[in-house]
Amino acid sequence: MPMYQVKPMSGGDIKIDLPTCMYKLPNIHAQNSGCGEHAHQNGEVDPAIRALEARQDEIMRRLYELKAAVDGLAKTVTTPDADLDATTIPQGGATSVFSGTANLDSLLGKDPGALRDIVINAHPARPPLSLLVLHSLLCQRYRVLSTVHVHSSIPAVPPPLLTCLGPRDAHSYTRQRFQLGFTLIWKDVPKTQMKFSVQSMCPIEGEGNIARFLYRLLAPEPRDPAAATLADSWVDTALFQMAEGGSKERAAVLRALNGTLGRSPWLAGAELSLADIVCACCVLQSGSAASAPPNVQKWLKSCENLGHFSRAHALLQ
Amino acid sequence: MTNEEVKGAQEEEQQAQSKKALKKQQKEAEKAAKKAEKQAKLAAEQQSTDEEDFAKDRYGVPPMVQSQQKLDRTLVRVQDLTPEKAGQLVWVRARVHTSRAKGKQCFLVLRQQQFNVQALVAVSDRASKQMVKFAANITKESIVDVEGVVRKVDQKIESCSQQDVELHIEQIFVISQAEPRLPLQLEDAVRPEGEGDEEGRATVNQDTKLDNRVIDLRTTTSQAIFRLQSGVCQLFRDTLTNKGFVEIQTPKIISAASEGGANVFTVSYFKTSAYLAQSPQLYKQMCICADFDKVFCVGPVFRAEDSNTHRHLTEFVGLDIEMAFNYHYHEVIESITDTMVQIFKGLRDRFQTEIQTVNKQYPSEPFKFLEPTLRLEYREAVAMLREAGVEMGDEEDLSTPNEKLLGRLVKEKYDTDFYVLDKYPLAVRPFYTMPDPNNPKYSNSYDMFMRGEEILSGAQRIHDARLLTERAMHHNIDLEKIKAYIDSFRYGAPPHAGGGIGLERVTMLYLGLHNVRQTSMFPRDPKRLTP
Repeated sequence: MPMYQVKPMSGGDIKIDLPTCMYKLPNIHAQNSGCGEHAHQNGEVDPAIRALEARQDEIMRRLYELKAAVDGLAKTVTTPDADLDATTIPQGGATSVFSGTANLDSLLGKDPGALRDIVINAHPARPPLSLLVLHSLLCQRYRVLSTVHVHSSIPAVPPPLLTCLGPRDAHSYTRQRFQLGFTLIWKDVPKTQMKFSVQSMCPIEGEGNIARFLYRLLAPEPRDPAAATLADSWVDTALFQMAEGGSKERAAVLRALNGTLGRSPWLAGAELSLADIVCACCVLQSGSAASAPPNVQKWLKSCENLGHFSRAHALLQ
Repeated sequence: MTNEEVKGAQEEEQQAQSKKALKKQQKEAEKAAKKAEKQAKLAAEQQSTDEEDFAKDRYGVPPMVQSQQKLDRTLVRVQDLTPEKAGQLVWVRARVHTSRAKGKQCFLVLRQQQFNVQALVAVSDRASKQMVKFAANITKESIVDVEGVVRKVDQKIESCSQQDVELHIEQIFVISQAEPRLPLQLEDAVRPEGEGDEEGRATVNQDTKLDNRVIDLRTTTSQAIFRLQSGVCQLFRDTLTNKGFVEIQTPKIISAASEGGANVFTVSYFKTSAYLAQSPQLYKQMCICADFDKVFCVGPVFRAEDSNTHRHLTEFVGLDIEMAFNYHYHEVIESITDTMVQIFKGLRDRFQTEIQTVNKQYPSEPFKFLEPTLRLEYREAVAMLREAGVEMGDEEDLSTPNEKLLGRLVKEKYDTDFYVLDKYPLAVRPFYTMPDPNNPKYSNSYDMFMRGEEILSGAQRIHDARLLTERAMHHNIDLEKIKAYIDSFRYGAPPHAGGGIGLERVTMLYLGLHNVRQTSMFPRDPKRLTP
């Protein structure tokens, strides 16, 4: 590099008498001190520094990761169904809410070694359609061992009722392979009844309550109390007024459904929920699907398009 | 010595007993007097009978039936005496169940098996005073031929099975007389347990019933039990025959014990000894190896177990099934459970009156079952028991109380009295049991339970001579003793499985009875060899 040079102003070997009361330091102007500056001015980066920078970036990245993990963990600890939350983040499409494999242990407690078997007793005269839809959703989520039995209190049932949970699983001979059992027993019972854990749970009566239980195995309850109550209310309306009510009550429910469905595609929330499943099944079962108002018709079509209503439909024919 | 002297000597010798003896003598004298009086009375009656009996051809004790003549007389069954027959004159042969004389008439209850009808002899232009007396004196359980007119009654007769009609007797003949003192009363024998205590009425204990089995078997309860048992056998045969099974007969005298050495009866066999078959298993399996494909047999099985429990007999009727399968032994489980379900359904649909009759004396809940039958795995059963607070190891066998408890747990959840427990630990099963292909600790074996009690124990059998030898050696079994058994698998054997049930146990548990002796006609247990 062309730079001007000046002659030394003084001789290099001047003798200076240094006081003895001071420290002595070595000469800091090293011979090659100019070289570093030289390189820097050239724009070349020392590979050591580059490596250092890369290491710092790496550390920062890992710190961020760790932070995210700790945040997640904190959330799990403070809210009970948070890990379900994480696995059910909507990924577009209505049915995606129910996909992915969830951890049943976290929902139902530690695996006791026996197959967790949900036993449902239903009268063949009143097949619980909504439970069949929920069964179909459960199968999508878990490995479910489905069996249908006829109790001795019933002389015989029509063949469609025996196949309403679909064909037998090819592996049904090894019960240990399954996460969940779904045992449907056609029995002479006044009300549909569910038995799950005989030791810790009393029998659950009524299709609505059983549907709520099964749905909780699929999706988290809405955190919002108002939304949760709204869904509950629709379930009750469907079962008490639609399924058990007279023609006037049924007409009133259809009108209410029509009104709500005019404002939103689904009854509660932005996606298919338990309210839709139970209401749709009750409408189908009451035989008023064909004469239902337009919004209800459209909504029924959307429900059917999701594919989980096919077995319920098969029973109605 | 004169009489007085003797008396005096006796008095001296037995001063202490004299008072007693005197009393006894007095009593005997009284008895003799009464007897004489009675005889005199009877004689007087006899006289009066002889005097003026216009109906003397219409009653009496005819000569013993020795097939002297072949009467062309139609006898009507008691169960066919219905209001439609009102006004008809019919002949009936039946037993006198009870008789009750009341002045000028006598009511009889005539019984035929579990059916009975009220009959009436009253003094009229057809029946004399003497005839009524004769009817009143016929001992209970005697067999009589009566001719009478069927009449409708205004008020239902609650105590009889034929509630709407009664029989007005015109002729009555005793075919076979029963002794006046019966060892047990039929009414007492059918009284529900516990009811007798409250009302001070008698019930008959088990041993008295079994000692006098002929009379005990006449009770409506016994009649119903054994009719139902016959139904079990019939349904078992019919169902399996329809499924393509072949009924086989197997020898009961065998040279070697089939299942281990214990619990066999030894019988002398000419110059050597033999055993009574504990189970027809070996022969069933040989039939499978001989290409019979699906076989069953019904026959006696002997167990020399000295256990006096409510469910053990030393001889019982075994209903045994053995079947070759294609790929999985569950094919056999399904066949067996379906057979059981068909039996239960048949009993439910065809034997409802018998079930009701037995329930009157031994109340129990109706037998419940599922179709297809519920199948649980052993590991699940252990988990269920642990959940209920039972401490047991993974490979421990189920104790009888645990079996009962498990039965209750299963009933609570599934509401079924019949289920299959599959995949027992290999360690608790006999050496010929096929091990589980995925877990060497478990095996392809199963038990079936009715009302929490085991009725069938079965498994996929090892059909490979090499593996069988290996397993036998593992169990320290003398290979020489079972050589014939192992050899039967050397010439190609299809995979097969099977099991056997006890007829008496099935009947007992189906009806909810508490003792297997009630469902064995002439039970054999360590303490009973007669009748």
